[in-house]
Amino acid sequence: MKKTYDAVIIGGGVVGAAVFNKLVRIGKKIALIDSASDVATGASKANSGLIHAGYDPEPGTLKAKLNVEGAKLYPKICKRLSLPLKVCGALVVGDDKKKVQALYTRGIQNGVKELYILNRKELLKILPDLQEHITVGLYAKTSALISPYLLTVSLCEEAIINGGELFLEEDLESCQKEKDIFILKTKKGTFKTKNIINSAGYGYNDVAKILGTEEYPLEYRRGEYFVFSKDSTTKVPCTLFPLPTEKGKGVLITPTVDGNYLVGPTSEKSDYETITTENGLKEIKEKAGLILNKVDFKNAIRVFSGVRTICGKDFIVEKSKTNGIINLVGICSPGLSSAPAIANMVAKLLGFGTKELKDLKKIEPYKMLKEYPIKEQNEMIKKNKDYGEIVCKCEKITKGDIVAVLKRPIKIHSVDAIKRRTDAGMGICQGGFCFTKVVNIIAKTRKMKYEDVLKENRGSKVAVGDIREVNDGN
Amino acid sequence: METDVLVIGGGPAGMSSALSASQNGSKVILVERDKVLGGILNQCIHNGFGLHYFNEELTGPEFAHRFRKMVEKDKNITVLTDTLVTEIGDHKVSVMGKNGVFDIKCKALIIAMGCRERTAGNISLNGTRPMGILTAGTVQKMVNIDGKMVGKDIVILGSGDIGLIMARRLTLEGAKVHAVLEINSTSSGLKRNILQCLDDFNIPLYFNTTIFEVVGKDRVEGVYYGQVDEHFNHIENTRKFLKCDTVVLSVGLIPEMQMVKGVSINPKTNGAFVNEHYQTEKEWIFSCGNILHVHDLVDNVALEGKQVGLFASLYAQKKLNNGNLIKVSHSADFAYVLPYTLFEGEEEVEVKFRLKKKVVKSFIVAISQGNIIAKKYVLAGVPGEMMTFKFSKKGVKEEIVFEVRENGKI
Repeated sequence: MKKTYDAVIIGGGVVGAAVFNKLVRIGKKIALIDSASDVATGASKANSGLIHAGYDPEPGTLKAKLNVEGAKLYPKICKRLSLPLKVCGALVVGDDKKKVQALYTRGIQNGVKELYILNRKELLKILPDLQEHITVGLYAKTSALISPYLLTVSLCEEAIINGGELFLEEDLESCQKEKDIFILKTKKGTFKTKNIINSAGYGYNDVAKILGTEEYPLEYRRGEYFVFSKDSTTKVPCTLFPLPTEKGKGVLITPTVDGNYLVGPTSEKSDYETITTENGLKEIKEKAGLILNKVDFKNAIRVFSGVRTICGKDFIVEKSKTNGIINLVGICSPGLSSAPAIANMVAKLLGFGTKELKDLKKIEPYKMLKEYPIKEQNEMIKKNKDYGEIVCKCEKITKGDIVAVLKRPIKIHSVDAIKRRTDAGMGICQGGFCFTKVVNIIAKTRKMKYEDVLKENRGSKVAVGDIREVNDGN
Repeated sequence: METDVLVIGGGPAGMSSALSASQNGSKVILVERDKVLGGILNQCIHNGFGLHYFNEELTGPEFAHRFRKMVEKDKNITVLTDTLVTEIGDHKVSVMGKNGVFDIKCKALIIAMGCRERTAGNISLNGTRPMGILTAGTVQKMVNIDGKMVGKDIVILGSGDIGLIMARRLTLEGAKVHAVLEINSTSSGLKRNILQCLDDFNIPLYFNTTIFEVVGKDRVEGVYYGQVDEHFNHIENTRKFLKCDTVVLSVGLIPEMQMVKGVSINPKTNGAFVNEHYQTEKEWIFSCGNILHVHDLVDNVALEGKQVGLFASLYAQKKLNNGNLIKVSHSADFAYVLPYTLFEGEEEVEVKFRLKKKVVKSFIVAISQGNIIAKKYVLAGVPGEMMTFKFSKKGVKEEIVFEVRENGKI
């Protein structure tokens, strides 16, 4: 008889991963399933990578409560997972003192600490290049940068080494309930579980249909971004926002935890489609120019877009009418900031409490060769010649780094999964020199055919087959 | 480690300059990040290399092999493959690789790291980002080195030489290359490549045309493309759909200068400003090959490397004498004229230049103090081809200005 899980989580974004992590740490038998070939392939891989201080959401909402709670949990979680969390602060700037004051008051109401109102003179000390019309700003000292994908990956890995099970490339087909047990069928197998958590993000309604639970009207808002190289001259020391509008927090300029710079996002109503558009990118250029005198768009190395799934004004974190199912709906921004608090809330809703087991295993830190002291680097190269083979010259990533990542708990086989974990391909050449090297390493380490290696998800095979010479030779 | 001349980059410019520095009496270390010397030549399996340098037609790997053999035989050159330079300091560089992580001190440094390709992000290619959007160089590596086909229905964006070469290569491998789209009104590729790689295979080349949007979730499913106006704005009513599974980008090369700090860069070439001895603003750093300016022919890269290897070697031995400076400038008809400064002296000098527009039956003239000091007749010149001009600078002391005199009139 196959085992029965305490809960199956559907959707491996940062929210699903946080819930997965928490429930495993409580001591429950948990499975996480996702249709993609890696975790964090939806909104969790395409956002600003910010842990917001929490001054922005309307007081009294779940967004406000979970953002502030979640942000407080991050330092401890990041320490445990050996993940960089760069507390660099955020500045909201504009020319309307009343609006800034209102934002400050809102922050205080939400329980945010370390908020300061700065005048132009004080702002210029932080950012000498501010546009002339900017006279006032709110400084939120606790705002932080994180790698949203490495966070999601690490949360899942920690869950896995402590007994959680991750199933990728699973297509959910049906759900039946026998007594108190759900039987979930995918194309590949069957899962028996006492509870189900729908954290499918943009796919929430598709999953809800199969589960026979509440469907909600969802709205998608596309956010387009520019990524600047580490050499960019737009070296902002903290995250810079314009004053928020009804459409959202506006086009921000921020460093990333990796040392690049992001400018975006737009907020365009759309279908679920991660495209960049001429108008969107134009809008970013115009709006960023309203904050800083000079924005270095010449050093843009990539454009991308992510889609926020929105359901009304607040998050929905609720028990379904169908006993045993939890609905997580419309977890848009500040979803990343709120994820650990959402996980706690889900644990409570399920009646599991939040008390974690002792003596849980810790994951190996994500540390590339270049991050070790030189003496250790030399020892590592001597011991393992793969560390002496350069793969990504922009980010200085070696074959040894990539093979090590392939041996970690999540069995990935895509170039983008490697990119998210190691930064190989993230630099100024954008994989121009290392793409095929990474493909070869994945194929060899995973013992799979070159052409079966993926760029990202199923359907994104890197090649269509051998060239003629190879075929003729056979 | 310590050496007279350190060369970064084991492609044609690096190998040629290393050989020349050694032949002129210096101890040389040549650093290459890949497993073997040769650089991009190793993936250029088509022929057409070596006509000028070796007086015979070779493939890229053959051309590289000839140099590699000479380098390997040279006892004064230490080759460090699988070694990446991570930082350029003052008369030293830091490296990592199979021999560990360490510093190398040098008297002179030759930067010969070549170019990278402009990417989808650099040109803000819109639409989705599925599998199937690849730079021409990556496609070349997959097909020629890994033996794998990238797709069956191809659209090529940009008419750079590698894109043209790959149009032919992919066609020979059974793919259908539907079109080459060029946003400009002229091609940046060599004329012979347009004839031999496109015309011979009936592959259409559309000018003033670009991709508006890429479509496809996991794999490219097609592109919306159309014409642009003179400011490269999309002309929406020319928008058409083309079904394809692969978009090959051949939209330009960018010199790999990001590691070289503190030297000024010519925005026209994206390479360093150099004097007649190919010294950058930091006089111990020399530059040659595609990192200095993009060449059309590898033969010219090798020749430039040879020249620069001599200068760097002389510098390392404290024998390089720079005379009084002569400034070089040019009219708006040129994209650039290189080197950017010359020295007073008796010798002949060769400048290299690219035109901004097409000229026929014209003279290129060098003017100093209002007098034409040299001229060169050009039957036909196009922006896509680098040209050279050799002349005597004997007696010249003031700025030299280059101009084009059209219709055979001086």
